Amino acid sequence: MATTTLEPRTAGYRRAWVLDWLTTVDHKKIGILYIVNSFLFFFAAGILALVVRSELAVPGMQFLDQDTYNQAFTMHGTIMLFLFIIPVLSGFGNYIVPLQLGAPDMAFPRINALSFWLLPLGGLLIFSGYLFGGAAAEGWTSYAPLSNRAEGVGTDLWIIGLALVGTASILGAVNFITTIFKMRAPGMTLFRMPIFVWTILVTATLILLATPVLTAGLIALFIDRNYGGSFFDPSVGGNPILWQHIFWFFGHPEVYIVILPGMGVVSEVLPVFSRKPLFGYKAFVFATIAIGLLSFSVWAHHMFTTGGALFLPFFSFMTALIGIPTGVKMFNWLGTLYRGKLVFSSAMLFALGFISMFLIGGISGVMLASPPIDFHVQDTYFVVAHLHYVFFGGSVFAVFAATYYWFPKMFGRKLNEPLGKIHFWIHFIGFNLAFFPMHELGLLGMPRRIADYADRPDWVILNFMSTVGAFMIAVSVIPFLINVIATFINGEPAGDDPWEGNTLEWATTSPPPPYNFDRLPPIHSERPLFFLTHGHGHAAERPDDLEEGAEEDAEHRKGVV
Amino acid sequence: MQPKAPHSRLRTIVRIGAPLLLIGLLSGCLLPPDPKTDAAKDVFNLYLLVLALAAIVFIGVEGFLLYAVFRYRRKPGDDVLPEQLHGNNTVEVIWTLIPTVIVFTLFGFSMITLGEVNAKADNPTTIHVDGFQWQWTFRYEDGPSITGTATDPPVLAVPVGEPVRLVLNALDVNHSFYVPEFLIKRDLIPVGENGTPNELEFTVSEEGTYSGQCAEFCGVAHADMTFSVEAMSRDAFEQFIASGGATPPPAEGDCSTTIQLAAVESIQFDTDSIEVPAGEDFCVEFTNNDIVPHDFGVVETQFNGDDVAPGESITYQVPAMEAGDYTFICTLHPTAMVGDLSVTE
Ligand code: HEM
Ligand SMILES: [Cu+2]
Repeated sequence: MATTTLEPRTAGYRRAWVLDWLTTVDHKKIGILYIVNSFLFFFAAGILALVVRSELAVPGMQFLDQDTYNQAFTMHGTIMLFLFIIPVLSGFGNYIVPLQLGAPDMAFPRINALSFWLLPLGGLLIFSGYLFGGAAAEGWTSYAPLSNRAEGVGTDLWIIGLALVGTASILGAVNFITTIFKMRAPGMTLFRMPIFVWTILVTATLILLATPVLTAGLIALFIDRNYGGSFFDPSVGGNPILWQHIFWFFGHPEVYIVILPGMGVVSEVLPVFSRKPLFGYKAFVFATIAIGLLSFSVWAHHMFTTGGALFLPFFSFMTALIGIPTGVKMFNWLGTLYRGKLVFSSAMLFALGFISMFLIGGISGVMLASPPIDFHVQDTYFVVAHLHYVFFGGSVFAVFAATYYWFPKMFGRKLNEPLGKIHFWIHFIGFNLAFFPMHELGLLGMPRRIADYADRPDWVILNFMSTVGAFMIAVSVIPFLINVIATFINGEPAGDDPWEGNTLEWATTSPPPPYNFDRLPPIHSERPLFFLTHGHGHAAERPDDLEEGAEEDAEHRKGVV
Repeated sequence: MQPKAPHSRLRTIVRIGAPLLLIGLLSGCLLPPDPKTDAAKDVFNLYLLVLALAAIVFIGVEGFLLYAVFRYRRKPGDDVLPEQLHGNNTVEVIWTLIPTVIVFTLFGFSMITLGEVNAKADNPTTIHVDGFQWQWTFRYEDGPSITGTATDPPVLAVPVGEPVRLVLNALDVNHSFYVPEFLIKRDLIPVGENGTPNELEFTVSEEGTYSGQCAEFCGVAHADMTFSVEAMSRDAFEQFIASGGATPPPAEGDCSTTIQLAAVESIQFDTDSIEVPAGEDFCVEFTNNDIVPHDFGVVETQFNGDDVAPGESITYQVPAMEAGDYTFICTLHPTAMVGDLSVTE
């Protein structure tokens, strides 16, 4: 009689390498796809940034005309936000969240694949405007009625592409929320989840509440443009300010969608390389939730100069309030460094870079919350400086911290540290050279989104500095790319836990097997691996820790938490 | 308690020097222009206060960060774990209070200044500002209407030392009236027939010319929407209105060839090619059926006709040209409105 042996499915079918990646539903492979795809879009949008900065290096129109300039900054902003920074952080979330929860995969692996594959599709649609007479050129905010009237299909492709990308992130958000609530390993209570998971949870909630609003707005705009609608066109009874409300009701939470996971990364990296726990874990969690909640009540701070019936004091007050939980986080990070034993790996350098640069973006944000000051600097280069200190100085630094930190887990090899440090320093100096002068440019009154500017000596020198800085940033990517390639060819093997990590992803092999874990260590705190490595002797320093843990264990068994 | 580390001289220098250097740098290069209206002076003072708060936060946090980076380095071979501090509720409360106090201070002072910026005067001089793609028209009550071009930006004349009220109307898309030295901008929103346009009031405190520019992205030639404000004495202002009030009468058609040309909805000519005979003056009967002002010009000869308001028409007499291919444009929209002008024998 023939007998059938049951084997794990993954070993059962061997597919061609490419087909395997195209059809994978493994969260780790999808995570890597997300990250690679995002970096490709990052380079494309970065080249557009260099185009913009080259045109602005000196006054006078150099090699673009006004329309191509407008397309360049519109595509730059749109692609950077929707196809680089949001997806790249989702990519790390995809790879890391199930591992950190001790789960075998995301809750809905197939939806996971779908939400990834919508991204390159949406991105290419947005870019394809260039093939059909010009890409969208109304800015990433696409204000009505300019966007109603803009001719050419570029803007329609932009709308459709963004609607797809939005759908992708909504699907992704549902998946993350379900995974986090339903797939945690035994013992992993909510208050033992790594901070990175917490930030992804809050981010996913924001996406779920905010993105559908944008999608609705985009559809309304599409109807206005193509089917004679009149949502936003005042000449046929519409209201252009309505678009701004819709856009920013999404657009402000969007800022936190971008920054919260970055904060999560930093909160993973700092404790590991300070060899201490995150200072004030619970305070940090509550601050994250508070930021998420407040982010829905501040949207009109982007609209202070629109006059009309807007009630400025409310929006100004709520915006100022967001400064408080953000400040708390800042202090918690500093508290984590306090009396630590700091190791300056490349990941740590980028995390410290995040703190020092995001601080500047945070400060200029609080300044913008003051309506009289906003009246002066809104829509000037001051805002361009502010948004890059948040998105670039914040999130992008966090993305590189995450890359250096988790690369060994993903590929089993460590990135080269000296090259990483060269990357950091050129990047850091170039970044500040490119964007700090923009504060002063804005204060002096240079508007954003202008293809050419007045030939004033002070503007000229500041713009030139900024362009030099932009090229330094571009140069800094070279050691990074060399590093990645060299590491694939001949990198130092990482082992399971190269950094003496705290969280569960370091408990499995690098890279992890398709099913993630052979067995899990016991989970009694937010640092299961730390206790595994250093034993419970250290727990005694926090005597209530174990008891508290026991209580939570009991609740968990009862299904309360 | 750990014993205090001995102060090295270097550290003392850094401690005292770094903040001073930073304050110097920050205040030296992070200032708006000198304020030139009454309200702008208040905004400037508010800004100074906010900048001071910002500098304190900046120096405090970055200073601690630098200190930590040097002070808490892990020494090679040091395998002892540091004390595993998980947090401390007292400090947590304290450092929630610090940003709270800062943002409440900021909010309070901002609201006071906001009141001053938005104050309304009783009898201001009212001027209508129309923004359109991509220029401005300044309309004075009982006075002239002045529209600029990209190469010849318009001047907004205002009396110095008196309240001025601008009524801000957009004819097509959003624009924003921004004069950096007044430290303020306000958007021009197309509000349709029943809407109320935005207003902006200020009192310029010093005679002079101040440059301004559209600050809300409004399409292709957004960067060309520059203008300047000229603040002058009451007498000079009245003279300006009196003398500028008379726009030159439209040229009488006196030529054997007359071409019909119209501007139509959404910034276009109704044709993109015109043919005229060489060597003699010709006339262009130009009608503006669009919702923003337009004109007629010839690139090569630099002929530049008067602006025509929406709904009006005019007849231009264009001087004789040699045979050849020329380009005609609307000088207000030189990129969007172009066409071929062929002059034939
Ligand atoms: C190489 C690095 C970068 C350079 C040199 C750069 C430069 C610029 C410049 C000069 C502008 C203003 C263009 C204008 O208003 O005319 C701009 C706009 C913008 N940038 Fe960047 N940028 C860089 C990276 C990034 C990154 C990483 C992000 C986001 C993750 C980003 C997001 C944006 C956004 C959202 C806008 C606004 C676009 C708009 O006005 O519609 N940039 N950038
Ligand atoms: Cu404009």
